[in-house]
Formats: sequence, C-alpha cells, structure tokens
Amino acid sequence: MIVKLKVNGETRSADVPPETTLLKLLREHLNLTGAKLGCDVGDCGTCTVIVDGESVNSCLMLAGRASGREVTTIEGLASSEQLHPLQEKFEELGALQCGFCGPGMIISAKALLDKNPEPTVFEVKDALSGNLCRCTGYTKIIEAILDAGRIMSTAEAKS
Amino acid sequence: MALLAENNSRARALAGGTDLVVDLKHAPGDVDLLVDISQLPEFSGIEETEEGLRIGSMVTFSELMASPIVNQMTPEIVAASHTVGAVQTRNLGTIGGNLVTCVPSADSAPSLLALDAIATIAGSDGKRSVPLEEFFVGPRKTILEPHELLAEILIPKKNLGKPSHFIKFGLRKGQALALVNVAAALYLNDDGKVAEPRIALGAVAPTPMFARKAEASLDGKRPNEESLLEAARVAVSEIKPIDDFRASANYRRHLVQTLTYRTLKRSAEIASEQ
Repeated sequence: MIVKLKVNGETRSADVPPETTLLKLLREHLNLTGAKLGCDVGDCGTCTVIVDGESVNSCLMLAGRASGREVTTIEGLASSEQLHPLQEKFEELGALQCGFCGPGMIISAKALLDKNPEPTVFEVKDALSGNLCRCTGYTKIIEAILDAGRIMSTAEAKS
Repeated sequence: MALLAENNSRARALAGGTDLVVDLKHAPGDVDLLVDISQLPEFSGIEETEEGLRIGSMVTFSELMASPIVNQMTPEIVAASHTVGAVQTRNLGTIGGNLVTCVPSADSAPSLLALDAIATIAGSDGKRSVPLEEFFVGPRKTILEPHELLAEILIPKKNLGKPSHFIKFGLRKGQALALVNVAAALYLNDDGKVAEPRIALGAVAPTPMFARKAEASLDGKRPNEESLLEAARVAVSEIKPIDDFRASANYRRHLVQTLTYRTLKRSAEIASEQ
C-alpha cells in the first residue's frame, strides 16, 4: 500500500506491505533512524514519535494509520544552526548516558511541553511513564525537561 | 462487518492496535485481513443522551481523560483510564479494545462495572445491548460473534455522579498490569444507610467480576468499620485468584480485602460529602 504522510514538515510517501509499522516505515523506507527499535511491543518508549500532536509508540502504529497525518520525529527538532532547548538541556545536564532512550525521552518531553510548558515534577514523571532508561536514574532527565520548559516559556513570553 | 464475518477467524478488527499489533508480530501467519474500525464515526465520541453517558468504543483513554463531561459525571473512569499503560499507549488504546481483548486485569472494566455499564453490540443483523458483566466470557473471550463489534458503552443516567472509587494495585505506576484492581460504588440514603452497593474486582477470576455476596452483606447497613470490613472479607470468599509470576493467589486475596475496604470507605466518604 502507498502511504503518504508529512514527516517533520515534508511530504513523504512509500510503498509498504500493509503490516508495516510506522517505526519500520520511518527507519527502513524513509531512512529516519532517530526513533529506535527497542522492545517492539510498546513497553520501552524509545520508538516514540508525535502524530498530530500526540505521542505514540511508532512500533504499535501501523504505517497506514499515519497516512495523511503529520509526524514529528527527533530529526525534526533541531535546525542545522540550533538545537532544540530540550536537546541543549539534555546535553548540558548529562541527561543521556548510552543515549538509546534519548529520542523517545525528548519526543515525549516535547509532547508534554507543547501542551504544558511549565509542568510540575509529577507531571514530568507521568509524561515519561512510558519511556524506560536503564542508565541515568531519570533525575537528570527530569531536571533537563523542567529547565527546557522554563527556557521555552520565557522565549515564548518575549516573542 | 461483512468482511469480518466472511473471513471469520482469519480476520480481525483493528482499534488502537496496542494489543493486536503485538499479537500480529508474535504470530504473523494468523491473520489475513485487518479491518480498521478506529475511525468509524458511529463508534466515536462521548455524549450525554437521554439514557445516560454514551462512550463510543473507539474513544481512546486520553480522550476519556480529557473529556470535561467524563471528568464531571464519572471521575473514576478518568482515574481508571490514567492507570492504563502510559501516555503513548493511552493515546492509541481504546476503551472498546481494552474490553474486547478481555484480559482479567483490564483496567477499564471495574469502574465501568461498578456503574452498571451496558455494552451495545453492533452486528450485521442489528444491535443488541447486554450488561457489561455478561460481555465477558473468559480470558480473552467475549460474547461477540464473528460478525459483531462492540459499538459503545452506556453508563445509565441514574448512575451518573454515583459516589465511586477505583484503585489499581500494580508493581509500578506506569506500564504495569494490575495485580488486583477494584472499583466500588454506592449511595447513602437519607438515614445514612448504604443503597445499591457495587464491588467490581479485576485480575482475581477468569473475567472481571462483581462481588455479589459482599454487596449484599453491605446493602442497607451503615458504612462503619465493622460493615465495610465484613464486606471486604466476604469479597475475598468470592474470588478465584491464581498464582503467577506477578503475585501469589494469597497475596491477591490480601489485596482484595484491603482494596475493597478502601474503595468502599472512600465511596462512602464521597457520598456523605454530597
């Protein structure tokens, strides 16, 4: 089946078997390997992408379901000049160690901050409940998200 | 529906996909045909009708949590939805899918049962409605025929706002199956006695279930320490928990007693505040 969708602002299409997941479409057909294949059953969250404003496990969504919709992956956050505030803060605070959970963590955090720019610690933890990290212990990830939220809402207020 | 009926066991209806896509990966040869029903307008939406609160089977858990009308009229359904999976799975997973998958631990079941929810089933030969309790037949088995789909859930009007409380006990806050989940609902009549008590239990029998004897033991009594503890003890006698790697049957019995007591107590507190 032909799947046509918008990925990070660009219209893309691919001819894939109907059982193809959105994750496989992104990684193997569109060469966007930022979203990772982890558990492949919707537990670990490293495949998280945003579809029409909502975070989803791309390993659980069939590609056909994303047809005609807008998908944001980790590749859509930074420009060649500038990192996204979340990426800056993750780097600055050492919120990544092995990094495998990073794309999913940052995308889940973006989905949260887009709706709720100044979340509480509880809200951040709740938003990350579907993203597993086996290295950091989460503390630095939570701090980075809270900091990025503050930067983003200050920037918003100025503009 | 015709497609699903024709292809019988080789065809499946696709809702949110959070269970079915995983099944497809584990047994790729089992299914030849997927029919995506997630966008059917007849199965979508949440609205108040003359009969009560109608929840389309394709409503996602995130939609339930965000719905002002659900928050206002049946807050425990919001609380129960919040305990399902994690954000990403709640954005995909539907209430209908959760019920049709029919695992004993389904987190949406107890709070719906406690409000006497009714399941409306659509088939190629028309519609039928059954109490949700009768919808569940066994683990991963419902009363749906191959040509039928779960269309909507109705919370009867008389139970909107009924004092109710839900507790899920899992080993983590996110991404955990319930060891036990319990919902209670009750009214207090003018002289402070319990009326129409409901106790719904999950993960302690082949399907989500009512503790009918426990309900009867509390009916018409004042909700004090003695009567609530007695109901909780009776509830334990009605369950058939199993030992598995998540918990022993004995631990589940202990949880049922504690959580039944707590959900009843909280329901009674809410009732007396009203």
